[in-house]
Amino acid sequence: MDKFLDFIVRAGSLDRRVIFVVIALVVIIPLFFPLGLPIRATNSSQAVYDVVEELKAGDKALVSFEYGPSTKPEIHPMTVALLRHLFQKDVKVYITCLWPDGQFMALEALEQVADNQYHKVYGEDYVLLGYRPGAEAIIKGLVSNIRKVFTVDSRGDFLDDIPMMVGVNQVADFDFLFSASAGYPGTVEWVQYAADPTGVTMSTGTTSIQVNEVMPYVQSGQIVGILGGMPGAAEYESLIGQPGIGTSGMDAQSVAHVVIVAFIIFGNISFYVERRRSKKY
Amino acid sequence: MNGSEIFGAWVAVFLTLGIFSYLYKDNPFYKIAEHVFVGVSAGYWMAMAFWTQVQPNLFGRLWPTPDGEISGFLMKAWYGIYNIFGFIVPSVFPNGGINKGHGHDPNFIYLLPFALGIMMLMSVASKLSWLARLGIAYTVGMAAGLRAYAFLNSNVLGQIKGTAVSFVDIPFFSLTGVSVFNNLIILVGTITGLLYFYFSKEHSGHFGKVTRVGIYFLMISFGASFGFAVMGRISLLIGRFTDLISYGTETYNYASIWVLLLMIVLLAIWTFKGDKKAVN
Repeated sequence: MDKFLDFIVRAGSLDRRVIFVVIALVVIIPLFFPLGLPIRATNSSQAVYDVVEELKAGDKALVSFEYGPSTKPEIHPMTVALLRHLFQKDVKVYITCLWPDGQFMALEALEQVADNQYHKVYGEDYVLLGYRPGAEAIIKGLVSNIRKVFTVDSRGDFLDDIPMMVGVNQVADFDFLFSASAGYPGTVEWVQYAADPTGVTMSTGTTSIQVNEVMPYVQSGQIVGILGGMPGAAEYESLIGQPGIGTSGMDAQSVAHVVIVAFIIFGNISFYVERRRSKKY
Repeated sequence: MNGSEIFGAWVAVFLTLGIFSYLYKDNPFYKIAEHVFVGVSAGYWMAMAFWTQVQPNLFGRLWPTPDGEISGFLMKAWYGIYNIFGFIVPSVFPNGGINKGHGHDPNFIYLLPFALGIMMLMSVASKLSWLARLGIAYTVGMAAGLRAYAFLNSNVLGQIKGTAVSFVDIPFFSLTGVSVFNNLIILVGTITGLLYFYFSKEHSGHFGKVTRVGIYFLMISFGASFGFAVMGRISLLIGRFTDLISYGTETYNYASIWVLLLMIVLLAIWTFKGDKKAVN
C-alpha cells in the first residue's frame, strides 16, 4: 500500500510537459480515428434552432460576426451551420462585423455556404455590410439608422443600389438577430443596445468561456437560446442534419475532457496523500 | 493550390508550432511568433480602422465629392486644403473629393471629432500631451453616458425581471425546463449570492450561514466557468491540430512535418548550447 501511495505522490509532481504531450495525443488520435460518439442537442441549442425554424421565406436576419482566427474553431462551425439553416429557409441574410477580422470570417463562411452550397445571389439573398470600428456606438447607430453607419457595403456598393436593402433602415426592420461573438464588442452589447430596446428576437453563439457571462440573459429571456462553443456548433449541425467541422471535433473534445477530469482527480488524490503524510511526520 | 497559398500554410505552421514551443520553454521561435503576432495585429487593426472609418466616414464627410463646380471663397479654400492633402497622399484623398454616399456638401461638425482625434495623438509629444486629455475626457464621458442607460435597462431591470420567477402553474420538478425546483434554486442562489457581498454586517450566526450558501453558489459558478474555459481551450487546440494535419499533407508539401522536425532539431541544438554555456 505504501509503495502505491509513494507512486501517487511521485506522480503528483509529474513534469507538466508530460501532461501537455498526453493532452496533445488524446486530441490528435480521435481526429485520425473518429469514435462517432452521439451528439444530443441541449435546450439552449434547440431554442436557437426553433427560433430560426419559425422564420419564413423572405424574412430578414441580421447576423453579426464578432470573432477572428483566434476563436475560429469555436465560432466558425456554428456560423456556417446557422447560415446553412437560414439559406435553406430562404431567409434574407444581412451581415455586419464589429471585429475587423470578422469580415474575413464572414467572407469565408459565405463563399462556402451562400455561393458554393446554396448558390445565393449577392445583394438579393444576402449582403455583407462589412466592418465598422466603434463597438456599441455602431450598434446604436444601426438601431437608429443603418445608413448613418453604412453608406456602402463591404464591396463599396452604395446601400441604396442594393435590392435587398430597400425598406431596411434600422434594426427594428429585422425579424431575427444573431450575434456570433468571441468577446467585446459582442453579444452583451447587442442585447443592451439592440435586442432589449427594439424587442427584435435575438439568439447568440459564443465561445465556451463566455457562456457563463451570457447565460443570465438567456435565463431571463432577453436572448433566445445560445450555442456554446464547439459543442454548441456540433449540436446545431446535428439539428439541421448537416455534420460539419463542429461534429468532427467532438470526439477529440470528449476524450480530452475525460483525460483532464482524470488528471484533476489524480492531482487531488496526490495532494491529499501528501498533506496527510506531512501532518503525520 | 497556388504558391502563395502553400507559402501561407508554411508560415501558419511555423507560427503555430512557434507558439506551441513555449510549452517546452521560452525560446527564440516563440519570441519570433509572439512579436510577429503583436506587430501584425496592431498594424492590421490600424489599417482596418483607417480605411473603414477614418477615410470614408470622417474625410468622406469633410470633403465629399461636390455636386458640380465649387463656388464661394470659403469652399474653394476648403477644397484647396484637400488638394494639398491629395498631392501628398492621393490614395487617401483622391482627385475631386471622396464619394462614400455622404451627400455633396461638407459636414463641418465632423471637424470636432477630427480635432479630438488629433489631440489624442498629441500624447506622443511631451509638451502637448495635455491636449490628449480632452479627447480622452470626451470619449470617457460619451461612453459613460451611452452605457448608463443600457446597463440599467438590460443588466439591472432585465435581470431583476429574470429573477422574479414564477412558482405557479409549472411542474414541481423538471430536468430540462422551467420548474418550481429550478426557480427555487435561482431565487435562493440570487439572494444568498447578493447577501455574500453585503459587508455592513458581520458574516456570523444565521447571517453567516446564509452567506455560506451564497459562497457555495459562487463556487459552483466559478467551477462552471473553469469547465467552460477548459472546453474552449481544447476546442482551439482541436482547431490548430486540424489545420496542422491538413497542412501536413502532400498538397502543402508536408509543411507541418518538415517545420516540426526542423524546429525540434534547432531547439535541441539551442538547448544543448545553452546547457554547455551554463556549465562553463
